[in-house]
Amino acid sequence: MSKLEQHTGTRLTRRALIAGAGGAALAAPVLAQELGRMIDLGLPGGPSLRPLTPAFPGKGEMIVQRIRPPLLETPMEVFSQGTITPNDRMFVRWNWDMPTAVNAAEHRVAVGGAVKQPVSLTLDDIAAAGEHVEVVAINQCAGNGRGLSNPRVTGTQWGNGAMGCAKWTGVRLKDVLAKAGVAGGATRVRFAGLDVPLTDGAPQFIKSIPLDIAMRDDVLVAWAMNGEALPLMHGFPLRIVVPGWFSTYWVKMLSTIEVLTGADDSYYVAKSYRIPAAPITPDDKDFPTVEITTMPPRAFITSHADGAAVALGKPLVLEGIGMGGDAALERVDLVGDGWAIPCELGPDEGPYAFRRWQVTLPQVAGNLEKIGVRAANVTGAVQPDALNWNPSGYARNVIERITLVAQ
Amino acid sequence: MLLALLLAGCESQPQVTFADASITPPDDPIELPEGPGRDAVLENCTACHSPSTMLQQPRVSREKWESIANKMIEVYKAPVDEAAIPAIADYMVAVQARGEPQQPN
Ligand code: HEC
Repeated sequence: MSKLEQHTGTRLTRRALIAGAGGAALAAPVLAQELGRMIDLGLPGGPSLRPLTPAFPGKGEMIVQRIRPPLLETPMEVFSQGTITPNDRMFVRWNWDMPTAVNAAEHRVAVGGAVKQPVSLTLDDIAAAGEHVEVVAINQCAGNGRGLSNPRVTGTQWGNGAMGCAKWTGVRLKDVLAKAGVAGGATRVRFAGLDVPLTDGAPQFIKSIPLDIAMRDDVLVAWAMNGEALPLMHGFPLRIVVPGWFSTYWVKMLSTIEVLTGADDSYYVAKSYRIPAAPITPDDKDFPTVEITTMPPRAFITSHADGAAVALGKPLVLEGIGMGGDAALERVDLVGDGWAIPCELGPDEGPYAFRRWQVTLPQVAGNLEKIGVRAANVTGAVQPDALNWNPSGYARNVIERITLVAQ
Repeated sequence: MLLALLLAGCESQPQVTFADASITPPDDPIELPEGPGRDAVLENCTACHSPSTMLQQPRVSREKWESIANKMIEVYKAPVDEAAIPAIADYMVAVQARGEPQQPN
């Protein structure tokens, strides 16, 4: 029986679906009433307005991309407040319906596949599997900024707020794997959570990483986010943390760890979450793809929004955040048409964390047209001037430009 | 930092306690603008996700809406009545052409 049938208590018929939809429609329009405030995400060609609401459990004011399964975006103003994103403002992303209750004592993590001895671990077993490790790392959706693609592409129409930075606490994945013992010939480690498809035969949201990444000292099975137990919406009781990699691999509500001996041919690795192997144009149709993995550098101006007024003839302080992606941030430059000014970097909270930057312009001489900030990391990766367009809108890291109006 | 971690590793681990967790997500009002084909979308396209999934998309062609409906059937095993696909595509094209503001869900 599929989960959808369990929901409706009957074979999945059109009648059941109508009943389900109608019932929900009659239920509480509470959220609709609370959704008074709208935010404009500036998506080219629209629709661009989204509701803002604090109505989701444990969340502060969030941009609602979708109620069910929840897709909540962090308003950009949150990033002006520091490098750590508070738990109640961290973006939320589920592909399929999320379970709404987890019993801690009954929860198990099965470790199997190419292992010497398959094991089923309790949460206490996990917590005792090794040294407790803290990592500050950015969690960013592969599709962050998709809605800004030009030409536009379908998918969740995120602005740039499907990202956040938190301190994650847990044990090393390699210590959990050691409980079962990785067998010879292992290639990848795959994760599954408690979220399952609503329909029989549909792909479960399972994801895998190469074995050498799984064995890294900073790849975690985490139970805490910013010093608190993982909120359910963020994957209670456990989620995978892969610093420097897009959050599609940070599987939530972890329940299965499976060691593979070959390639991963499951849908969300082999068919989806893939980018062109080499740059393409929107007219290209058939091109080789590779799975999306690590994050490129990005930077954002958080002190001023596009179109903001600045004082003519006065000094101007611009501030924001930057990230190196899968390597430490090396520099951030304020760039305009043919010029670049280095920015001063704030305290370093680790290679995978946001880092603040600041720059002071001695005197505003006129409008600041299409200025942006350009991050570079220590491996030499630099944000490009033009969008690396791809049909799924993944891995956006074009320099984000704004115009400030001198008054 | 490595040293600190190593030292921490020598001492007994801090106790981690796991309490049960549950939430009640907000209801989904399932709001779709009026128009011919609305029932077809309601019946076929709102079981797995809120209407905002459709309503927030950039303006695309009728063929693209048909291919999205077919993707739902093929990839996600959506129980969509294939006879309703033209009505679904017509409805989505008409709603997008009206340029309605993003619905509140
Ligand atoms: C069996 C469940 C199911 C049904 C029924 C369903 N969808 Fe989907 N749909 C999904 C899933 C799963 C996704 C991907 C969600 C995500 O990425 O968060 C999706 C995503 C989408 C998207 C976003 C673009 C994309 O390709 O990811 C659109 C648009 C969409 N669906 C339209 C429709 C339409 C139109 C119908 C009715 C013909 C429909 N859906 C019925 C499961 C379903």
